[in-house]
Amino acid sequence: MFCGAQQKGEEVIMLDMIIIDGLSFALPLFIMAVGGIYSEKSGITNLALEGFQGFGAFTGAVVVVWLTGITGSTSQIPYYAGFFFAMIGGGIFALIHALLCIKFKADQVISGVVMNILAMAMTSFMTKSINSAFFGNSANKFMLGASSRITIPYISEIPYIGAVFRDIYPFEIIAVIVAVVMWYVLYRTVYGMRLRACGDNPHSADAAGINVNAVRTVAVFISGCLSGIAGMSFAYSISANFSPDIYLGYGYLSIAALIFGNWNILPALGACLIFGFARSGGSAIINELGLPSSYNDLVRILPYLLTLLLLVFFSKHNRSPRALGQVYDKGRR
Amino acid sequence: MAEPIVEMRHITKRFPGIVANDDVSLSVNRGEIFAVLGENGAGKSTLVSMLFGMYEPDEGEIYVRGKLEHINSPRYATQLSIGMVHQEFRLVSNYTVTENIILGLEPEKKLFGLFPYVDIKKANHDIAELSERYKLKINPEDVIENLNVASRQRVEILKMLYREAEILIFDEPTAVLTPQEIESFLQIIEGLRGSGKTIILITHKLNEIKAVADRCAILNRGKLIDILDVPSTSTDEMARLMVGHEVSFTTPKTPAKFGDTVLKAENMSVKNPSGYEAVKSVSFSIHSGEVFAVAGVSGNGQNELADAIAGLVSCSGGRITLNGRDITNASVRDRIEAGAAYIPEDRHNVGLVLDFTLRDNFPLRRYYSDKFSRKGVLNDAAFNEYGRHLQENYDIRSGQGMATITRSMSGGNQQKAIIAREIDMKTPLIIFMQPTRGLDIGAVMNVRKQIIAERDRGAAVLLISLDLDEIMDCADTIAVIYNGSISKIAPAGELTVDDIGLYMMGVGKTA
Repeated sequence: MFCGAQQKGEEVIMLDMIIIDGLSFALPLFIMAVGGIYSEKSGITNLALEGFQGFGAFTGAVVVVWLTGITGSTSQIPYYAGFFFAMIGGGIFALIHALLCIKFKADQVISGVVMNILAMAMTSFMTKSINSAFFGNSANKFMLGASSRITIPYISEIPYIGAVFRDIYPFEIIAVIVAVVMWYVLYRTVYGMRLRACGDNPHSADAAGINVNAVRTVAVFISGCLSGIAGMSFAYSISANFSPDIYLGYGYLSIAALIFGNWNILPALGACLIFGFARSGGSAIINELGLPSSYNDLVRILPYLLTLLLLVFFSKHNRSPRALGQVYDKGRR
Repeated sequence: MAEPIVEMRHITKRFPGIVANDDVSLSVNRGEIFAVLGENGAGKSTLVSMLFGMYEPDEGEIYVRGKLEHINSPRYATQLSIGMVHQEFRLVSNYTVTENIILGLEPEKKLFGLFPYVDIKKANHDIAELSERYKLKINPEDVIENLNVASRQRVEILKMLYREAEILIFDEPTAVLTPQEIESFLQIIEGLRGSGKTIILITHKLNEIKAVADRCAILNRGKLIDILDVPSTSTDEMARLMVGHEVSFTTPKTPAKFGDTVLKAENMSVKNPSGYEAVKSVSFSIHSGEVFAVAGVSGNGQNELADAIAGLVSCSGGRITLNGRDITNASVRDRIEAGAAYIPEDRHNVGLVLDFTLRDNFPLRRYYSDKFSRKGVLNDAAFNEYGRHLQENYDIRSGQGMATITRSMSGGNQQKAIIAREIDMKTPLIIFMQPTRGLDIGAVMNVRKQIIAERDRGAAVLLISLDLDEIMDCADTIAVIYNGSISKIAPAGELTVDDIGLYMMGVGKTA
């Protein structure tokens, strides 16, 4: 191995790339998994993360395209407004899931799947409609442009791990801040304590005077908000546009991460990092070997393969919240 | 002293097909232990549930501290300083004692004066103090799932005290406790009365009422029969009023006539799911016409023993023969056909399909036979006829007859249904696992009579029970199980309760 940041050997550059790309994939995945943890810890099964992130990205993208028309392409306002509205859009869309599962006591698995299909169909229809109505074309995508990147001076010069602070997307910082806040809320505050109680034994929460349905509705809303941020991040980093390609299964991947993380935030971060580095590491190897870019598609399945493998080892030991997926019905014994 | 704190006037509550409470009026005085006595399904739980706001009465009024109140939620009941410990505890299993108690009323502090958080340190301290004050020993930082039932109950009591409840309602508090734990529970509630609390105790155990209660209301089929002054009433009198007729506390029994050996276990061993040998090389045999009772403290291998004979778990060693046929590795269905019936301890998860109707639960063990199905198609008429037959012959009461979903039936009637299904098969071997757990006196006596009747029919009966009275009452042969081994087998007449108690604790003379 070479040492020092000055002589950047090929391996070092490759390692940097792995870290930079890995993080930019892992962190949005993580923030979505945190949302999933909120929903599931409150007792609502959430297979709808995929749909939430897609719908969130859609609302964000609409706002970006609209604002860019007003402010011009150099302004940073559309970028941050996009994330804000992606969050709101994902949250509001998630309320449909909450309504179905909590108010109408629907099967939560079915509701989740329906939400995913609904998001996919609605967003591609609306994308085309908006494009043809306002921009005179019938493209199924909104161009966003690539996100700018930030390098933090000095600490990014540290050998090897300095790459963590180099070329970061602003949304990675957003994700980290939001995750810290979410961790604090879940494990330290009254709301977090009540939320986790609802997922283990809603009867005891109810007996303690807690409005189980309200707690759960808020939790599902939060999961939609966080998924929205994640969806917008993917739209900015992976494709530089919003199109139905956003539905590549990242939502399911984050569900896998939260399961491997045993429904806890920090271990879920570990799982997301593994997925992220598996993906970026695979790409780096393909580049290194000079293989045609079509092999990149092969690399994309690495996280999913890893999911299968991890499932074999982890699924036995992990324990889901006790009341997960059960409709809360006061009278039932 | 006689200042009423709660008054219920002309309370009527109806559920589909049943009147749970019919014009019940009673008043509870401040600072007394007021017992509500009645058989299962008599409407005790419903009555006090209305006081706690879980149901609202269809007719009638509730006065608390002299004021008319519409208690429409547990939350409101809590505001009125009414607390309740349910039969099934309402605890968050992965939370600590403290977290469970403060849930809903969390003390808060602010990080950097800005970010609110739950002040667990202070809470732990408060709970430790509270438990000291009321002499309810508990470690505030223990996690609920690691605690035994008696400790969990103390957590439930502390939960009410933390909310400063003055009226404490207990729904069948001793059903899940061991005799020693019951003793200390009764001391606890006497202590609570001493500190000025009012206690409403729902139970069907007469000796507990006699031991602690001041007054006692007796319900039968939803109607208030009487309110008695406990110290001046005998338990026999209470029992008579509760059941509605004279009851005898012993089961009449003719001498046993043993026939051939039906069940034979040789060096049988069973491992529990975590790999621990729960039954260790046990040998015994049961004859036709014999009640073979296994006594022991809970968790000494009884469940594994029963499940292994019924075929729900497999043996890790040894041999089981039924009427000379080796069934060690036979499937459950083969064992049914070979003649083994099983009344399991866990009514809800093993005994019944709770969301099936009563009618559909009856043929569960035989639905595939020619009587109930033809070429894989179920025979509706046969189901109906069989359901009617069992319901009539075994006096199973349910709201909507055979179409009742078993989940909504009372525990006693659920058990009656299971016993009816099993003994109606007239098998040579019947395993009764804790058959009277949670049942009221009338039902208990009924079950015991049935056990004896089956023995007299010529069945071999394996009775596993934690209740020594039951074992002394029914057994022809008594075996004591301790730590997975049978420490003593003797004819019933040769052992006293004290002897058995010693063997149960592993300190008896070696056989």
